[in-house]
Amino acid sequence: MSVPAADILTTPVPAGPESEAAGRASRGWLRSAEITIPGAVLAALLFFCFIWPLVYPVPKPIGGSLLTTNLPLWSPGHILGTDTVGDDVMSRILYGGRVSFEVAAAVQLIGLVIGGLFGMLAAYRGGWLEAVLMRILDVFIAFPSLVLVLAISDSLGPSETHVIWALSAFSIPAFGRVARAATLRLRDQPFVVAARLSGSRAWRIQLLHLVPNMLPQLLTFSLLGAGITIILEGALDFLGYGIPPPGASWGNMIAAGQSFMSVYPRFVLVPSVFLLVSVLCLNLLGDGLRARWGVR
Amino acid sequence: MRPHAYPRRNVRLSALRVSSVIIATAVAVILAGCGASKSPASPATSGPKHGGSLTVLEGSGYAGNWPGLDPATDTDGAANQSYMDAIFGELFQLEAGGKTVGDLATGYSFANGGKTVNITLRHGVKFSDGTPFNAAAVVYNWKRDLAATCTCKPVFLSPPTITMTGPYSVSLTLSYVDAPFINALQGNVFNWIASPTAIKKLGAKAFALKPVGAGPFTVVSDTPDSELVLAKNPAYWQNGLPYLHSLTFKSVAGDQQALTAIEAGSGQAYEGMSTPQLVSAFKAKFQTTAEPSTSPYDIQLNTKIAPFNNKLAREAIYYATDAALLDKGLFQDTYPPGESFTAPAGLFYQQTVTGYIGYDLAKAKALVKQLGGLSFSLGTINVPTAISLNEAVQTEWQAAGMKVNLSDFDLTGLIGAFTQGKWQAMLQTAGAYDPGTGVGVAFRFASTSPFSGVHDPKLDGLLNAAAATINSATRKTDYAAVAAYIAQNAYGPFLFPIASYNIAVKGVGGPGLTTPIPVTDVNPEVLWQYAYNNG
Amino acid sequence: MNASVTVQPARRAGGARARRLASSPALRLSGRRLLSAIPVLWGVTFLTFLTLNALPGDAASALLGINATPAEIRAFSIKLHLNEPLWVRYGHWLGGVVHGNLGSSLASPQTVASVLEQRLPVTLELVAYALVITFVVSIPLAVLCAHRPRGLTDRLCMVLSMCGISIAPYVLGLLLVLFFAVDIPIFPAIGYQSIGAGIAGNLKDLTLPAIVVALPLAAFYTRFLRADLLEQMQSEDYIVTARAKGLGPWRVLTQHALRNSFIGLLTVIGLNLATLIGSTVIVEQIFSLPGIGYELLQAISNRDVPVVEGIVLVFGAVVVLANLATDLLYGVLDPRIRHVRSRS
Repeated sequence: MSVPAADILTTPVPAGPESEAAGRASRGWLRSAEITIPGAVLAALLFFCFIWPLVYPVPKPIGGSLLTTNLPLWSPGHILGTDTVGDDVMSRILYGGRVSFEVAAAVQLIGLVIGGLFGMLAAYRGGWLEAVLMRILDVFIAFPSLVLVLAISDSLGPSETHVIWALSAFSIPAFGRVARAATLRLRDQPFVVAARLSGSRAWRIQLLHLVPNMLPQLLTFSLLGAGITIILEGALDFLGYGIPPPGASWGNMIAAGQSFMSVYPRFVLVPSVFLLVSVLCLNLLGDGLRARWGVR
Repeated sequence: MRPHAYPRRNVRLSALRVSSVIIATAVAVILAGCGASKSPASPATSGPKHGGSLTVLEGSGYAGNWPGLDPATDTDGAANQSYMDAIFGELFQLEAGGKTVGDLATGYSFANGGKTVNITLRHGVKFSDGTPFNAAAVVYNWKRDLAATCTCKPVFLSPPTITMTGPYSVSLTLSYVDAPFINALQGNVFNWIASPTAIKKLGAKAFALKPVGAGPFTVVSDTPDSELVLAKNPAYWQNGLPYLHSLTFKSVAGDQQALTAIEAGSGQAYEGMSTPQLVSAFKAKFQTTAEPSTSPYDIQLNTKIAPFNNKLAREAIYYATDAALLDKGLFQDTYPPGESFTAPAGLFYQQTVTGYIGYDLAKAKALVKQLGGLSFSLGTINVPTAISLNEAVQTEWQAAGMKVNLSDFDLTGLIGAFTQGKWQAMLQTAGAYDPGTGVGVAFRFASTSPFSGVHDPKLDGLLNAAAATINSATRKTDYAAVAAYIAQNAYGPFLFPIASYNIAVKGVGGPGLTTPIPVTDVNPEVLWQYAYNNG
Repeated sequence: MNASVTVQPARRAGGARARRLASSPALRLSGRRLLSAIPVLWGVTFLTFLTLNALPGDAASALLGINATPAEIRAFSIKLHLNEPLWVRYGHWLGGVVHGNLGSSLASPQTVASVLEQRLPVTLELVAYALVITFVVSIPLAVLCAHRPRGLTDRLCMVLSMCGISIAPYVLGLLLVLFFAVDIPIFPAIGYQSIGAGIAGNLKDLTLPAIVVALPLAAFYTRFLRADLLEQMQSEDYIVTARAKGLGPWRVLTQHALRNSFIGLLTVIGLNLATLIGSTVIVEQIFSLPGIGYELLQAISNRDVPVVEGIVLVFGAVVVLANLATDLLYGVLDPRIRHVRSRS
């Protein structure tokens, strides 16, 4: 949670000169690389987490044999070794990755749909509705969402669904602010004004004009938010409120491993590397797309 | 006081035994003869130097959290044993080999058929505020403890009569015989006598933050759950003691943090190291003393509801549990699997029990099939060791065809799960130094305990009988009968007692810290008055 | 938010100076914001209260310990007023707050106020130290990058800052302890020494934790600031004017562009403050710092409602005040806004 949370990202980051340079051919391949490389790595990660176990007989992530505990890296049959209860580390990484990506995607989707919708409607209507909504969002921003997240996890018990709802407490207000800012900017654009004057219904305007124009910004924002969500989910696991063991998740693998980091640092380092690479790719991709699309 | 998630609660392996309460099993035993007046043991090792200072680390979630240091309201009594012993001293202390010796008391005797305990107190002792330590103070404390709303006070089946029989003698009379009474004082609030003058002067709340006792140390500063700084008590009754002029307790998140902290010089000792994987790392650099637990892990089965109200289901659990493999896989064969609630370091140890159902996977599978499947949830406390053990047990049981859901709880959740009564199976610890005390056997097996899955009047009778006799040999046979009865009815299999370790850097020592003393609750007591730091 | 029309205050005794003060836009702004802060703070505390009370388990069972019988838990609950309906309890608490009494902790013999008094300074110092490190690192770095965009330093910077944002703070904390406290024993692994006991020791204890908190922030702020500076250099009129006047690129960057970038930076800090304090939870745990984040965690698990509410109230107030301060600073730093305000 040391990562600047969604709050920060609602502040439009100036696009800088990258958008200006979009036209220069000599930078073209570099620009592509900034998007394609992280994109490819991310796609590979998603493939290995979701599809590979369906195709190849990966050892099970739980229920490992107690006779093969703590095997080191590159052991035969266990490419990343086994953990203290005999479970194969590589397969826990893959299944844990599923959890991380599922949680990230779900949280961003919920934020996008609910937060984005409210933000857009509030800003479009203006008036008291907007004021009230913004006050509510302020409450969420001032509210240490940590309390909400911990309370939800503590009371409902740890499970993936609860983690998703708990983390949505961060993403909904964030998307709300972004959507509101975007709507405010777009609302007075000529084409929207024209549509209004020509008598189009509000929902048509919103659907046909506002949403398509907000989409690039919202998408890049959600990529960056996904990275943060993965880290937050790990933090929840670290504090003991996330996915319960023996279920695998990168966060709870790090948390479990840190109990004996001096002796078996690999149990912390291996999931940390995957965590870092995933978040890095999401950030790079989000940033690259933002530059490419000239989004603020 | 609650264990946190992974980084925190290593020492919580018996968080269940957190409380210092003597549970309802406080039925009586008459101890033969008088407890002789013994002088406290001389320091265990040679050449301690005077005037060292020592920083002791404690794992948060157990000893590293202290809600208050007033005996009357210290719900974490047993966990806070180290602080309480250092500040208040003890009426009786436990030493190596299981000897109970008087510290602020000089002896005890039983009278009136064993229904009365007479305790004689040491003369000439003063509290650190200068007021006298005497029978009036003890009576004041005990009455105050009993009147407080705290489950840390000893539980008696009927209210005791506490009287001062002389300026230095106290008697406690019950309507029944309470044999484990003296043993049960360990880690119990009755053992810690506070200065009545100070309580009245400061008021209970302030007193809980800066208590006054007659122990080897006085409180300099208290930052709850973080740091407790103590200094040598100049008025301590034992001349020349304590060796240390300053003793500080600091809270750390867990065993790994303690390791890096000691390596970096932030502390010189650590109590209750329980992560097996770190043992080698500690042993390589520091004095690592195994303090054998007196309380084995066991699987509790709730016989009040399905599926374990059916004896066949319970037997299937026994058949499917391979304790030796668990010991080998997780702990490298370190701990001896046992079939009862007793452990090598405690009283009345018995490793094998007649009629105990051993591991037999084929029979387990057959039973599961006969039952048409067996599906339930298995819970435990959220301490890493317990969680790993739970996972390993789940794997074994699933090999027999059972469907097992795991869950782990923090202390509050665990209490809630037990009191709501819907739990099915729990991995916990059972047994104590004296099975008749504390989180002992009745805690887990008597019908009156909310934390028991068994409701069998016949077992209650056997337990009461075992605690109502003074003769050790008879008690041993009685507890053997209890274990056999439990095995016969398949009320729950036992695994093995896991040891915790006390850590000290070279040059530091003390009884209980660098020498083993039997564990009465979770951590053994350390006799801080003899602790030293020569380094 | 600055555009609303305000009414001229009536003439008061005290003359022109008083009139000027009373009509000062800053004061009016502060007043408005403080007023609107009250419903926000109320909302925050009420939401917290609701959440905590929806939790199963309560302070009584947490406090009485494992051996409590259900009857004892019931009796203790009644003593703590936990059996009363939600709004009654909240009403009691709110009434106390209005009179300046935050209540007593349920889990320990201290009052909420003394818990806050003991622990808040630690966290605030940690956060302040982290912010100092952040600025010391990110501002020069951002200026350096903006000076020669797409150059080698710039690229390196961007790569490193990307990594900085992507690393998990708990891992970073553990690694720092291993490397700097053990392998190269410079900093202590745990513990906290108050300023009173020695400022050097105090800072040493807080350095590693502050670095853990600061690294992702610094990474983010570097990128943010750099991008903002570049945008200004490209498009703002006054920059063009300055260059036309013959000022060198460094001076333009540091004395003009930077000043205006502060606005955006400050907004970002204000928004981030609540999360920042929350982020200290893990750090305080790893380094055993007796701060407010760790206390919040323990209080939630103990269902120690008064302490949680007290902490939430303080957080909320800090955030609201921080936002107000940044709004006011807007005016100081950007003369254009000041003008707009005083005309409205």
